[in-house]
Amino acid sequence: MTAPDPTTAPSYRSSVQADARGGFGGLLRAEWTKLRTVPRWPLALLASAALTVLVALLSAAGSESTASGDGPADPGRLQIIDLGHFTYLPLAGDGSIVARVTSQRDGGAWAKAGLMIRESTRRGAPYAALMVTPGHGVRLQTGYESGGAGGGTAALPHWLKLTRSGTAVTGYDSADGRTWRRVGSVRLEGLPRQAPAGMFVAVPDTVEVRRQFGGETVSGRPGATRAMFDHVSVSSSQPGASWRDRGGAGGPAADPGADGRAEAGGTFTLKGMGDIGPNRFADDITRTTLTGVLIGQAAIIALAVLFVTAEYRRGMLRTTFAASPRRGRVLAAKAIVAALAALAAGLAGAFGSVLLAGPVLRSHGMSPPSLADEAVLRAVLGTAALPAVIAVFSLAVAVIVRRSAPAITVVLLVLLVPQIAATGLPLPAARWLERLTPAAGFAIQRTVTRFDQAISPWAGFGVLCGYTAAALAAAAWLIRKRDA
Amino acid sequence: MEATIEVRGLRKRYGAAVAVDDLSFTAGPGQVTGFVGPNGAGKSTTMRMIMGLDRPDGGTALVGGKPYRSLRTPLCGLGAMLDASAVHPARRARDHLRWLAHAGGLPARRVDEVIELTGLGGAARRRAGGFSLGMRQRLGIAAALLGDPPVLMFDEPVNGLDPEGITWIRGLLRSLAAEGRAVLVSSHLMSELEGGADRLVVIGRGRLIADTSVGDLLKAASRGRVEVRTTARQDVMTVLARAGATVTATGGDAVTVAGIPSEQIIALLTQAGAAFSGIAEHRASLEEAYMELTGDAVEFRAVTGREAR
Amino acid sequence: MSGANRGAPRAVLPRGAWTNTLHAEWTKLRTLPGVWWTLVALAGLTAAVGAAVTGSVDTANCASPAGCMEDTPKLALSGVRLGQVAAVAVGVLAVGGEYTTGTIAATLAAVPRRAAVLAAKAAVVAGAVAAAGTVGVLASLAAGRSLLPGNGFTAANGYPPLSPLDGPTARAAAGTVLYLVLVALLSLGVGTALREPAAAITAVLALLWLVPVVTRLTASAVWQDRLDKVAPMPAGLAVQATRDLDRLPIGPWAGLGVLAGYAAAALLAGGAVFAARDA
Repeated sequence: MTAPDPTTAPSYRSSVQADARGGFGGLLRAEWTKLRTVPRWPLALLASAALTVLVALLSAAGSESTASGDGPADPGRLQIIDLGHFTYLPLAGDGSIVARVTSQRDGGAWAKAGLMIRESTRRGAPYAALMVTPGHGVRLQTGYESGGAGGGTAALPHWLKLTRSGTAVTGYDSADGRTWRRVGSVRLEGLPRQAPAGMFVAVPDTVEVRRQFGGETVSGRPGATRAMFDHVSVSSSQPGASWRDRGGAGGPAADPGADGRAEAGGTFTLKGMGDIGPNRFADDITRTTLTGVLIGQAAIIALAVLFVTAEYRRGMLRTTFAASPRRGRVLAAKAIVAALAALAAGLAGAFGSVLLAGPVLRSHGMSPPSLADEAVLRAVLGTAALPAVIAVFSLAVAVIVRRSAPAITVVLLVLLVPQIAATGLPLPAARWLERLTPAAGFAIQRTVTRFDQAISPWAGFGVLCGYTAAALAAAAWLIRKRDA
Repeated sequence: MEATIEVRGLRKRYGAAVAVDDLSFTAGPGQVTGFVGPNGAGKSTTMRMIMGLDRPDGGTALVGGKPYRSLRTPLCGLGAMLDASAVHPARRARDHLRWLAHAGGLPARRVDEVIELTGLGGAARRRAGGFSLGMRQRLGIAAALLGDPPVLMFDEPVNGLDPEGITWIRGLLRSLAAEGRAVLVSSHLMSELEGGADRLVVIGRGRLIADTSVGDLLKAASRGRVEVRTTARQDVMTVLARAGATVTATGGDAVTVAGIPSEQIIALLTQAGAAFSGIAEHRASLEEAYMELTGDAVEFRAVTGREAR
Repeated sequence: MSGANRGAPRAVLPRGAWTNTLHAEWTKLRTLPGVWWTLVALAGLTAAVGAAVTGSVDTANCASPAGCMEDTPKLALSGVRLGQVAAVAVGVLAVGGEYTTGTIAATLAAVPRRAAVLAAKAAVVAGAVAAAGTVGVLASLAAGRSLLPGNGFTAANGYPPLSPLDGPTARAAAGTVLYLVLVALLSLGVGTALREPAAAITAVLALLWLVPVVTRLTASAVWQDRLDKVAPMPAGLAVQATRDLDRLPIGPWAGLGVLAGYAAAALLAGGAVFAARDA
């Protein structure tokens, strides 16, 4: 073999080497240039934001106020129920109220009969309620949350005592009225000196949920309950005060005797409808307004996948790796650019939805989500972040799969199918599906705790981020290992 | 940085198929090195390994004495056009060069400079999807020249081009080499490199067959062969074949003779009274030389294959 | 049998041309990488998801087993919601693959009549999906038949064992196969119109899946009802219902008709684009 030495010809020196600098900033600019110079791609971003807003407007236009009568329904107050029957006296300063529940009829395991002290009779006011339930023993409930301290079983008749000392309200119960057991204590900040205190009954609605693929119908039938109280005593009530009532709907009942309260020889019989507690079937207007992101994300997914697969398909990835052989950095730059672009589209879509759908909702007699509400703001910002996370997830799947059609199918499959399938499955199975799949990320849009909630907003978002991180790690490993 | 490509003992296999087998060669500055072999000989694989795109199973490939992936500003070390169609069709030519400049950390003025250099000019604002093959090759070459690198590598740059395009590329390669750069050009047709390359690295089935200057290769291929012009072809062939020569008809009135020197041919023909109008040393074309070499390679492989069994 | 040799002389004869086109399309479809796996996935996903659903439902959550009001045939066949992905893939790839690889030029060189090419593609896609779909549907029913009684869905509680011979169940089963075929044809039409497999898959899956998800979150019952009537998947799958038919937003066959309308529109659009555009 005659392999002559590389000749002694003078070696060429690059004229731009001195000006060239390898840096991550350059990579980011390169990927951004790639993204904006294929006209379809910026259009996809625009389409994503536009679709999101369009769906928000359509759903707002199709909405109907379910609130009966009194003005726009406050989304914050839609989330709680404050009904039942409350018979009260103003309690002057510290003091206590004692009564014996002798019977309780109808309403199921969570029918409530007992004592309550509250800031005012206004709906949604802070309260503390000590009650007997047929299925869940004696409970001290507050804050419109279900459950509460206590438990076990309570055999009727049963004694209850609620004492107020400053802002602390403590509940006691007793089987004989002599030996008291402390059930629990709550603090009611801002409790006025004269706080209404008395007896109440409440009962959850009977709800039938018909679930079918793609939809659910919730139909509720108000339940009714009845309970009898005797040995009622209120220490340090306002002298000369008489019992007043707050009935089912709309302020103090005009006709106390007819429905709510009957009194005979120191024995009170209270009848009531409706519950005091969380509304597990409330419409989440914020979430409905932000639904559009489900449609908007399709454009983002396609964009993020093609951002990668277009390079694989045409061999352009080799040019990319020739310019920057450190592949992990290329992937990072791609992910950052795709995420920021999707975030911009997401912000436009999410804020656009809330701001533009607001007037439409108001004209339909509904109270639009307010950005001043912490939960709403979280939902809106989360909705803006979803496309960014989904873009990174799609990009990582595209690197793993390398072909557009399977990558898009896989991403749409894991994001959408759990949400569709969940509506057709029995609740326990559906909850697991919405907890364990990337679709959990959409929980960030919830502002209302509903009966079918599978996972808390941040935990759900965390699940999606976890999947994204895992996919990105796999993509980074594969992109380094594989030949380009 | 020295303008060289050094390949030492490079190996690559895809599953059971050996793509590159213990390949070594060097491409030096100031030269156009032709990298030749039939389709599937392993040329593109070798080029990808030089660029650090594919991971070799053994051996090293160095650009200016360093592995490509360790270059700080790789586009200023080596410029390559592997596949002219590796451009997004919806992207303007200029934008393609622009992102590449960003990724390589190069100043943006280089984009205009290489557009000027490759004569893309008016087409630079058009989308690459509408480019003819020739324009796409120019864009690919522009991308390779972006970092003004001392080493250049082109995979089949003239494949499918019209004669005008071929002439332009040849001229460009020569001028790039004349500036002191090392230029490695692959082709599966030796004729494409005729008059374009100074040195040749010939491979077949992933193995090195020849690493030589063009002159040496032609000399070796032509050696001992004589061309006889005659109207009585049949007679001439019979006479010479009887004397032990290998005779092939190479045209309507010509035969090529191997195995006996020209003096003896003249003597034999004169003696037999066979008419001939001229006699000359045969000058082999590169194509012939190449056919001879690669033909041997196939044979060689077949023999070793049998031995292995 | 050597198709190429027999195909060449026959192509001249008008009578055999259709058979040849059909044969050519079938050869192309079955040699497409991944098509067999996709068809296996179609049957497998349908049956597996159906079995998972029927296996996870029980009567424990209901007041009484009969009060569950579960539509057991529909439950058993719910796997098509996932299985249809494979039908979409077959439909899109049958034509999309030709554009990405450039095979379309060779196809049109062999059969210049574009309508015939599209019709032949539709026929082989429909045939392949129908075969795989039938396997998946029968397997789903078999799984439901063996799993449901164990979860309290017994004949005594008003849930007779699933049988493809029972009237409404037969309609649900046959309708499900038809549903899969129509989804594949819809995908074929969209794939032909858009030419880019990635765009076509995104479009079809978005059309199928997004509307139900959006419907679920729509507050208004009127809008839910409207969307369920016109969206291809909810309307098309109305054919699976075997009880409470009066509560459906749209009748079983009418719903399948809506989907057929989508498929026909997509094929027509695809055909028009196919005929008008350069290959």
